Amino acid sequence: MKHLLLVVSLGLSFTSLSSFATPSYKVTVNGMVCSFCAQGIEKKMKALSETKDVYVGLKNHLVVVEVKDGLTLSQDVIRKIIKDAGYEVKSIEVSEHPIEHIKSGTDK
Amino acid sequence: MFSFNFRLWVIPLIFLLSHLAFAAPMGFEGSVMTMGDFNQNWREIGFNYAITSRDALGLTHLEFRSDDGKDKRQVDTLNYTRLLSRWNSTDAQSNLWLFMGLGEVRGSANNQSIESKVIASPGFQFDYETTRIYFATTHKLYRASNLNHDTTSIRAGFSFYEADYDKTQPWFILETKYTNQMSDKIEVIPMLRMINKNIFVEGGVNNSGQPRLNLMYTF
Repeated sequence: MKHLLLVVSLGLSFTSLSSFATPSYKVTVNGMVCSFCAQGIEKKMKALSETKDVYVGLKNHLVVVEVKDGLTLSQDVIRKIIKDAGYEVKSIEVSEHPIEHIKSGTDK
Repeated sequence: MFSFNFRLWVIPLIFLLSHLAFAAPMGFEGSVMTMGDFNQNWREIGFNYAITSRDALGLTHLEFRSDDGKDKRQVDTLNYTRLLSRWNSTDAQSNLWLFMGLGEVRGSANNQSIESKVIASPGFQFDYETTRIYFATTHKLYRASNLNHDTTSIRAGFSFYEADYDKTQPWFILETKYTNQMSDKIEVIPMLRMINKNIFVEGGVNNSGQPRLNLMYTF
């Protein structure tokens, strides 16, 4: 029984670690209404060495930045890129889900 | 003759899709925006480089002529574009832009060649946009000694549906445009606009039955 508990808790720890090792940042952005104008956000975010993938959603006013395994990204950097691109950051949430999960709308 | 050599324009056009004083007239910091506006009486190509998120420097070549073809101008300018102010809200964005241009104008009046002159082309643009509606008004001066070709343009339109970032979004845009000392008419141009990320294309036919094409590409 002790061994079973140990295995289960180790498993949960690894699951938890792997989830938080690759966080996504869900950024709600004001003013992002046109793909022609918002492309700077995607390009600048993708240029960061920590970035694995970027999603820009005009309908839901979201920019999601997925970070590479084992890396983190400063929220100040995210804020600066979006502000420099001419937009306003309304909020930033850290999500344990990857971009595909968030795009599907199940990350509520 | 209007010195427009179509082949000379098509080749750079393929590489430098373009647009001028519509939508955002500059890209994000470090980007190059190429632009073009083509119809029978007005042909313009240019590019600018965004040195900051609010400032861009560029070059423009413009040729325009009167409705009867007797008056023609060629204008080459070095341009500075400045985003003076931007307002962001949840579903909308509006901007106030300043344009400064300085260069040379050549051409002919009543088929007689006119001497080269220095031309200044300052202007303003205000625009308001959501994912479904668009409005912009632009006033640009083209002033040289004894020449005043100020242009005023108003654009308004709507998108047929809301599209997401990586999908093509079609718009209907109606533009009215007036160019001083070149035409007594107010040009009215209904256009179809297509935007897909860094590609922007508009096409339509004006109230004189002349086709018009606007292109823009950012890289």
